[in-house]
Amino acid sequence: MPVPTTAPTTESLTTWLAERIALYLTRQPAEIDPDVPLAEYGLDSVAALSLCGDIEDDFDLVIEPTAAWDYPTVHALAGHLMAEFAADTAQGGGA
Amino acid sequence: MDHAPYRRAEEFDRFLGDPDDPDEVFSYARCADLDEREEFPADICRRFQEWGLPDQYVPVEHGGGLRDYEQVLQLIRTVARRDLTCAVGHGKTYLGGVCVWVAGSAEQGARLGADIMAGVPVALGLTERAHGSDLLAGEVRTDDTTADTGDHWLVSGEKWLINNATRGSLLSLLTRTRPEAGPRGFSVLLVDKRRLDTDTYRHLPKIRTHGIRGADISGIAFDGARVPRGALVGEEGAGLEIVLKALQLTRTMCAALSLGAGDHGLRLGLDFAEQRELYGRRLIDLPQARHVLTGAAADVLLHEAVALVAARAVQTQTAELGVTAAVTKYLLPTGTDQVLADLAGLLGARAFLKSGHPYGRFQKVARDHRLVGLFDGNTLVNLNSLINQFRSLARGFRRGTGDTAGSDTACDLGAPLPPLDPAKLSLVARHGSGVMARLASCVEEVTRRAGPNPALAPVAEAARRLFAVTTAVHADMEEYQGALTDVPPAAFEVARRYTLCWAGAACLGLWTRSVDQVRDDPRTGPLWRDGLWLHTALDRLLVRLGEPAAADRETYEALLGTLRAARSSGRLFSLLPQQGPERPPLTPGAVTGDRERTPC
Repeated sequence: MPVPTTAPTTESLTTWLAERIALYLTRQPAEIDPDVPLAEYGLDSVAALSLCGDIEDDFDLVIEPTAAWDYPTVHALAGHLMAEFAADTAQGGGA
Repeated sequence: MDHAPYRRAEEFDRFLGDPDDPDEVFSYARCADLDEREEFPADICRRFQEWGLPDQYVPVEHGGGLRDYEQVLQLIRTVARRDLTCAVGHGKTYLGGVCVWVAGSAEQGARLGADIMAGVPVALGLTERAHGSDLLAGEVRTDDTTADTGDHWLVSGEKWLINNATRGSLLSLLTRTRPEAGPRGFSVLLVDKRRLDTDTYRHLPKIRTHGIRGADISGIAFDGARVPRGALVGEEGAGLEIVLKALQLTRTMCAALSLGAGDHGLRLGLDFAEQRELYGRRLIDLPQARHVLTGAAADVLLHEAVALVAARAVQTQTAELGVTAAVTKYLLPTGTDQVLADLAGLLGARAFLKSGHPYGRFQKVARDHRLVGLFDGNTLVNLNSLINQFRSLARGFRRGTGDTAGSDTACDLGAPLPPLDPAKLSLVARHGSGVMARLASCVEEVTRRAGPNPALAPVAEAARRLFAVTTAVHADMEEYQGALTDVPPAAFEVARRYTLCWAGAACLGLWTRSVDQVRDDPRTGPLWRDGLWLHTALDRLLVRLGEPAAADRETYEALLGTLRAARSSGRLFSLLPQQGPERPPLTPGAVTGDRERTPC
């Protein structure tokens, strides 16, 4: 499993999330406004569950599949992931 | 091998009496009569109550008797084998309660458990007239802008096509609790109709249906009904998540309905073929008739194997139930509809006769079963939920990850099941499917066993071919793993192929891990010893995957021999022994009055 050599930042996570969601939606990452709810782009709630697998895969961070329901924009999700990274590191796990 | 769930089902079946005896409460004659009158089988449900069937819908931690889902599977199958309307009409109480088992408090669980065990029917209110399976569009809502709602929700709106909507005293209601809806905009409320002001709700008339005609499929409309705050199940806003998890359990348990229908249809087909005589030959002696019958028999055992693994996986592989349930709920209803359609060809005009004729039961089974594919998420919904997981499933298969230990326990019939921990239910199988991850090692195991036992060589060859197809299917899944919106039709075909491969992997797992425990049983051992049922199951799956056949006539003839032996000794045709409550059938030579000679 790839472990990033540098700790992710809100900015790098925002970029990563926009790219990943653009892939799901077959759009360009630049089209994804980080403050617009993902549902407004047509990403349905069940499809949004797939994000947890990709996040675990790329960042070695286990999050709830429903994270995108509770944090429905790219910005909100990036903030949530940063908090999860901090908690994970504090517990001595993850990267 | 004396497998406890089958023993208990056998006892229950015996308690219910001989279904051929019209004086029994739960007889075929009585069911046909109720169906004709579109009447709910209330007196039959009372028999279930006398035996204690409702206890099996309540988990032990809430005071009931539900310990193993495998047991519930066999009990509902027993009911479904006689009559699907009864199985649906009574079993729906489990569906009504399951949201509380998934997310409710201990107090809610204890109270609901006591009601269910006392025979109170419970319903699950999900669908609405305008929205069908689109749960997020639900309009049944709470209205908090009205004054005096401090201790209550004020619920309004209509749920439609709900089993037990009228008969049920309690209703798990998916309710919009945020005006803007969204995945966190819904909550489950356990509504107790006995405590509502009767002016604030009304029942919608029973819907007349083509099958399951006696069931209470109706609706309920609320108009400012005051529901106590304590009715909330789990967290506010968690409704969709709770319902999706609950449906993983109920979709898996729907297998029992298909198994029962398959058992019943196959028995009718076999009896007809044994007794029907045309131009001096019995139907069963004609190659085409044998072909249909043996194909149906192979599918019935294939479905049983998948259902056994799936029902056990509820407890051993809980986090992957989203995959297990979708595969099972797609494969068993569609597969059993096909079995019944094939057998209808065998029965010819008999398949259309109504009650009063011994084969009049056939059209009812086929008619009733056609609804099973629609319950709790239809076939497209289930395939779509697999497509949504293509990313993790393809990744898991590539890496060999997934809950392989859970898969092993599910496939080992001698292994005790751990209790279900509902907290392990997950909307996504994060690391793929453990059943699929085990496929390669199961193929190796069959190949290894084929060394000293050449009879297994063609089975091992079929297993290797299944593995090759499965690898190709996963490569196709990678193609569509980005297709999370606007799913192309071709992705549904890939998902369909995935379910067939998963079924094959489950069969191989079940055979390799259980054969040594069951092979010596004089009754069902012959199905296992040289991989007979596995061979025909793999053959059926490969053919449905568009591959050349993997089993020859001789293999199917051997299967037909086991089918006829089971029937003549009064046993259920199944992977593990279970004696039926019927009087032994008349042997073909002894049949006089029933013997059919008229060509039509």
